[in-house]
Amino acid sequence: MACALSLAIETIPGIDLSVPITRNVVAKLRPIASIGYDPEASEVFAMQSVEHAVAESLLVKPSADAGDVAIALRDVAKTFAVRDDEVRALERVRFSVLRGEFVSVLGPSGCGKSTLLRIIAGLIRCDPGGDVEVFGRPRVGVADDTAVVFQSHNMLPWLTVERNLRLAAEVRRMPAADIHQRVEALLPVLKLEAFRHRYPHELSGGMRQRAGLGQALVLRPQLLLLDEPFGALDALTRDQLNVELLRLWQEVRKTVLLITHSIAEAVFLSDRVLVMSERPGTIVDDIAIDLPRPRDPQTTKAAPAFGQYILHLNQLMGVK
Amino acid sequence: MNTAGTPSRAGPLTTAWHRWRYIVDPAILFAVVAILWEKAVDIFHIKPYLLPPLSKVLAMMWERRQLLLRETWITTLEILQAFAWALVCGILFALLIHWVPTIRRTLYPLIVVFQGLPKIALAPLMIIWVGYGTASKVLMGFMFAFFPVVISTLGGLAGTSPALLEHFQAIGAARGVTFRRLLVPSALPAVLDGAKTAMPLAVIGVIVGEFVGSESGLGHLILDANANARTDLLFAALVMISLVAGFLYLGIELVARRVWWRAL
Repeated sequence: MACALSLAIETIPGIDLSVPITRNVVAKLRPIASIGYDPEASEVFAMQSVEHAVAESLLVKPSADAGDVAIALRDVAKTFAVRDDEVRALERVRFSVLRGEFVSVLGPSGCGKSTLLRIIAGLIRCDPGGDVEVFGRPRVGVADDTAVVFQSHNMLPWLTVERNLRLAAEVRRMPAADIHQRVEALLPVLKLEAFRHRYPHELSGGMRQRAGLGQALVLRPQLLLLDEPFGALDALTRDQLNVELLRLWQEVRKTVLLITHSIAEAVFLSDRVLVMSERPGTIVDDIAIDLPRPRDPQTTKAAPAFGQYILHLNQLMGVK
Repeated sequence: MNTAGTPSRAGPLTTAWHRWRYIVDPAILFAVVAILWEKAVDIFHIKPYLLPPLSKVLAMMWERRQLLLRETWITTLEILQAFAWALVCGILFALLIHWVPTIRRTLYPLIVVFQGLPKIALAPLMIIWVGYGTASKVLMGFMFAFFPVVISTLGGLAGTSPALLEHFQAIGAARGVTFRRLLVPSALPAVLDGAKTAMPLAVIGVIVGEFVGSESGLGHLILDANANARTDLLFAALVMISLVAGFLYLGIELVARRVWWRAL
């Protein structure tokens, strides 16, 4: 399957497969990345807070590697007016994501992580005083370089799978020939070829989410924002889709920001996990996941370090 | 999930029969009612000027078929005009309320208050204002049918999935695109429900208009038959009205079937 998948991806023109540069940058920024699988978990994470500092310094001096930063947030806060009251959803959020990185934002429900994603997507504005930059440009509204997949699938009930896949691209006025080519290339990758003429209600939940992901992938975004895309699915389907998501990402290596409340999902998929506090949400920790890639469910989840990351994140999030 | 296209064990014959039952079952009921009507008049010795037997009504319908068809045609045209105006204006007005806050705050409450008036009471006024002709009947039908279209269209627009609206925002859809590709198909099932309510109301409005002042149409025929104590002709007109109303409703139902995603 992996082979067929990579073949399918390679036939999609325009996908940049030359991404090792980004990986090198990450390695340079993290001289201590070799800590690997130290059984002394505490030591590992003590060292990682040094890494955290490195990431912070990147934020302060964006000019150093400005071209390699996909997302840069400085002092992002968000307050919502709820009737006569104010709810502070986010407070002083600052972090950056490098080009080609897979970063997860992990937090309890209601911590404002979806708000964070909407701010990065340009769907809502953060409070004055904060800064959101995506690919070096301040984010003032939705942009064509970004695609979002929400938890509730984005399929129109009156359109078939194929026409749903075309929708977002059509709305963005891509050339019809391009759309056709991309959809044809994506359908087998998403394992939806046999279901292209089905309507959303005729699909299983997993298929619907795959199609929802496909809608975003047709756009070939530089930045993919995922808001618990598989959150409504059962654990088995969810794991399966995560594996497929990872395969897709390992081929294209676009920047991905994933919002999730699943620790295992975050560790399995990400290069870095940003841990959010409860409301008002802020990033309380930034943990590099130094598990080798390509990852697969058998070997990655069996690695001792995988368990340690999970244990550590469990402690951070107050799961006793 | 019905992806496998489960072949029905019973086979195509049963499916066809199942579909036929939607025609056969009501037909049987209609026949039973017709027989009861016919026999009840005999059995209970009901005077024909109170309730003529069905056979007499049918005979009258055949005898006066030209008159009946002419009046039915006039009334049907009035109903269709009233309905079309109500549908178009109702949808447009709902869109204005949906989009323009000023209209929502001003014109909408005014219409709601107006809606509270018994429209039958306005019929004489309509005759004074626009005369004895077709216009006053169309106007009456319109007044009856307009508001349900507005309300159901508003409901349909407001019922658009917020998740899909956000999705359209995220893919950078312009207002017109969101309207055409999301709001219209989302609201369509509700609009059709509104049309189903509005159609019989347009019938009522037109007949009321014809009652109050008219020289033609089924409403006029009913008053005329009543004045001449021709109950059989009156019933013939009633049968024609229900036939017209039934077929018009069926027409909407057939259109509504094309909007199959309503039940999802």
